[in-house]
Amino acid sequence: MSNTKGSLTQLALQKFKKNFWGVLSFWLIVAIGFLALFAYAIAPDNSQNANQMHLSIHSQRPGFEVQMLYLPSGIETQQNGFSRVFFGNANADIEIPISSYSIDKEVLTYTEYASDGLIGVEKTIDLNRFPNKDHSAFIKKKTFLFGTDKYGRDLLSRILIGSRISFSIGFIAVFISLVIGICMGSIAGYYGGKVDAIIMWIINVTWSIPTLLLVIAITLALGKGFWQVFIAVGLTMWVEVARVVRGQIISAKEMQYVTAARALGFNDYRIITKHILPNIMAPIIVISAANFAAAILIESGLSFLGIGAQPPMASWGAMIKDHYNYIILGKPYLALIPGVCIMILVMAFMLIGNALRDALDVKS
Amino acid sequence: MQNSKLLDIKNLSISFSSEGIESEIIHNISYELQPNEILGIVGESGSGKSVSSLAILGLLPKRISKITQGTITFNQQNLTSLSSKQFQSIRGNEIAMIFQEPMSSLNPSMTCGNQVLEILLQHTSLSKAEAKAETLSLFEKVKLPLPKRVYSAYPHEISGGQKQRVMIAMAIACKPKILIADEPTTALDVTVQKDIITLLKQLQLEEQMSIIFISHDLSLVSEIADRIMVMYKGAIVEQGDVTQIFKSPKHIYTKALINSRPSMDSRLKQLPTIDDFMNNTSNSEIITSEKRSQTQKQIYAQKPLLEVINVEKEFISKSGWFSKPQTFKAVNNVSFKLYKGETLGLVGESGCGKSTLSNAILLLNKATSGSIMYQGVDITKLSKSDIRKLRKDIQIIFQDPYASLNPRLTVGKAIMEPMKVHNIGTSDTERKSKVLDLLLKVGLDESYFNRYPHEFSGGQRQRIGIARAIALEPQLIICDESVSALDISVQAQVLNLLNELKTNFGFTYIFISHDLAVVKYMSDQLIVMNKGRIEEQDDADNIYNNPKQPYTKKLIHAIPKGL
Repeated sequence: MSNTKGSLTQLALQKFKKNFWGVLSFWLIVAIGFLALFAYAIAPDNSQNANQMHLSIHSQRPGFEVQMLYLPSGIETQQNGFSRVFFGNANADIEIPISSYSIDKEVLTYTEYASDGLIGVEKTIDLNRFPNKDHSAFIKKKTFLFGTDKYGRDLLSRILIGSRISFSIGFIAVFISLVIGICMGSIAGYYGGKVDAIIMWIINVTWSIPTLLLVIAITLALGKGFWQVFIAVGLTMWVEVARVVRGQIISAKEMQYVTAARALGFNDYRIITKHILPNIMAPIIVISAANFAAAILIESGLSFLGIGAQPPMASWGAMIKDHYNYIILGKPYLALIPGVCIMILVMAFMLIGNALRDALDVKS
Repeated sequence: MQNSKLLDIKNLSISFSSEGIESEIIHNISYELQPNEILGIVGESGSGKSVSSLAILGLLPKRISKITQGTITFNQQNLTSLSSKQFQSIRGNEIAMIFQEPMSSLNPSMTCGNQVLEILLQHTSLSKAEAKAETLSLFEKVKLPLPKRVYSAYPHEISGGQKQRVMIAMAIACKPKILIADEPTTALDVTVQKDIITLLKQLQLEEQMSIIFISHDLSLVSEIADRIMVMYKGAIVEQGDVTQIFKSPKHIYTKALINSRPSMDSRLKQLPTIDDFMNNTSNSEIITSEKRSQTQKQIYAQKPLLEVINVEKEFISKSGWFSKPQTFKAVNNVSFKLYKGETLGLVGESGCGKSTLSNAILLLNKATSGSIMYQGVDITKLSKSDIRKLRKDIQIIFQDPYASLNPRLTVGKAIMEPMKVHNIGTSDTERKSKVLDLLLKVGLDESYFNRYPHEFSGGQRQRIGIARAIALEPQLIICDESVSALDISVQAQVLNLLNELKTNFGFTYIFISHDLAVVKYMSDQLIVMNKGRIEEQDDADNIYNNPKQPYTKKLIHAIPKGL
């Protein structure tokens, strides 16, 4: 019930609300977060990892339409609804793109779709495969809003599900970097002397190793996979946080309210956590936003190099890697769409970082 | 005679806008400056004295401020309508300014000589060699020792007083008609202040220029100015001749300003504040010297509460990897005794070691040698946890009330936290009621509990600092320049509060200040420190009336006494 109207945090929030680009970026990030969370519920292709391949219609342009014949897989699974919504349908129907079909007695005859003016193979199927011999519900027109990738998977679904990786790497890597960075930085900054010298050495050594090389080394040690990448990126990014925290604490330590806290007999832990850290949150928040953006870029780079998320898992970086040679083949959208997505997300984090920096600067 | 006015300000109003809300800071002021005259502008912080002088130079922050009406006429030119390009030929050339902080007004990466040279080259047609000769003669004029050395020295290599002299040299380089001095001596020691004032007076005679001297200190202004203008809340409340203002002030505010400062001659029981003047309730009761010696006799009959024996504090300044580290004694062989109920004054100029000594007593920065006995125990040898327990007994009230409060804690939390750490009170509700009680005792009210430090004025913040210090029910309170950052009228209120708390709770104070008048008013015993050593130690009145050491004499002599 305390009245917080005048608190500095409240003032900063009011200032932030007035920043158009900051607010826009904030809602954009919230929207992307929502899409990532409910990706399987929204995506047209809700199979696990949006991995429904139709090789005959590979790399089609955005807005491509085709008639699709669905064959129920006929396999019973024990997947519950929750898992289906959040982790994708493990047992999706078989989908066959067709150009035409006809029904003759109890048999459905269809021509498989073939691009470039070729005529597809004609195949027949027993109407008994369908419940109540009613086929009409199983032949539908399907539109691929973003086109299809080189395996004929729906690009929109892949993008939606790929956003999960980009989003979560940001959170996890920033979380790891904050935990390590704040601990190391505050110890170095507050105590100074030899402790500071040792920690600064560790920071400088870690910093001098090229980020990609370090991540590759860590992924090699921990194994390939996206979890390892998360940890590796977090372990490389703490140095920046630590340096910022250390610098801030060194200057905050000289502030009189810290001397006052010492004179009042508070112990070091209390002084650091209650009196110093809340006052240096602004630069930490700003650098976290920048780190968020950096983490997304590093993950994309790693996926591009094939060290990040492994197929069939969807990741924006890996999608660029799969399709970058289509750029000169007249189908640049396959690589451009995930590229633009990365750009938008990184840009949103950068703008929000800038807006926060302005808002948290109480002096002006 | 109309054209004899050098600067004529008519009906000037200035507004500042923040977040779309415009508020008028300067309300319709008019004054003029005659040639060859020193005009003093006196006012407390926020009275608009600096803003009005910045307007003359067109230095107001463009985006947030606006001159809403009025004219500033200089040489038949209306300065309010000049473009920034036209201003450049006036600034520095015809009207020059010196600022409060000589430390930040000089560019640290340029030698002092070059900074003066730059101005000469820009505003005059002198050749480089001539300009250099001119710079050296300017340095001589402002009485800088070894002008050649200062010419090639960087700002950090010379002292604060010397920096201010360089600033003055810069300001008078182009022989301006008007020199605006905005609190030029506030950051300096009293003895240096005295020299600078004498210098300004002398330069004014030599150069035949006019000076606008801005200060918060009425007695200082009265020593230099011909005419005084008193500003209060953006308006001129009184202006007139020095003797007239000082001897027979008309406005209540001016009266309060003159009387709020502790007098050097008598000792009032309670200092009059502005409110007292407004309500006519000032208490002119004087503590006589007999009464004083009586209470002192009682105090000194007890055992000392704190005994400082031969305390030394050395700082090591490393000059290089291979050279021998140089040591510097900030506190050198200091001993004194402090009795319960006493107020010990500690006075000295900046860098004399008074704060280092207080930090040593508080164990914030341990002494290099010597011992500090508190109630018979040597506290320099205590363990870390014992020190933390001792902190409850010895408290400090800082100079800067804003910097010493954590900006992210509400006032209530800031006062409650130390109580919690030292287990005073059993529950949060009990502590809260205690805090509310404390707030009332220091003259604030209960509604302040949930507010943040930045919502308060300087005097209120200092009260919060005092409330936090006394929340721990300490024995000894060190006031480290506790009233130096406050305006004179607020200073009087805080000094009264400190004295009132002392009688109610029986605190013992060590009162540190550079302001001899304030220290003398507050203290029983007085210690004068210089360069880490105790120069003189005696009863406060004794020291003031018959100082024995030449340094003490110089210090007392340098205090601006007014008329």
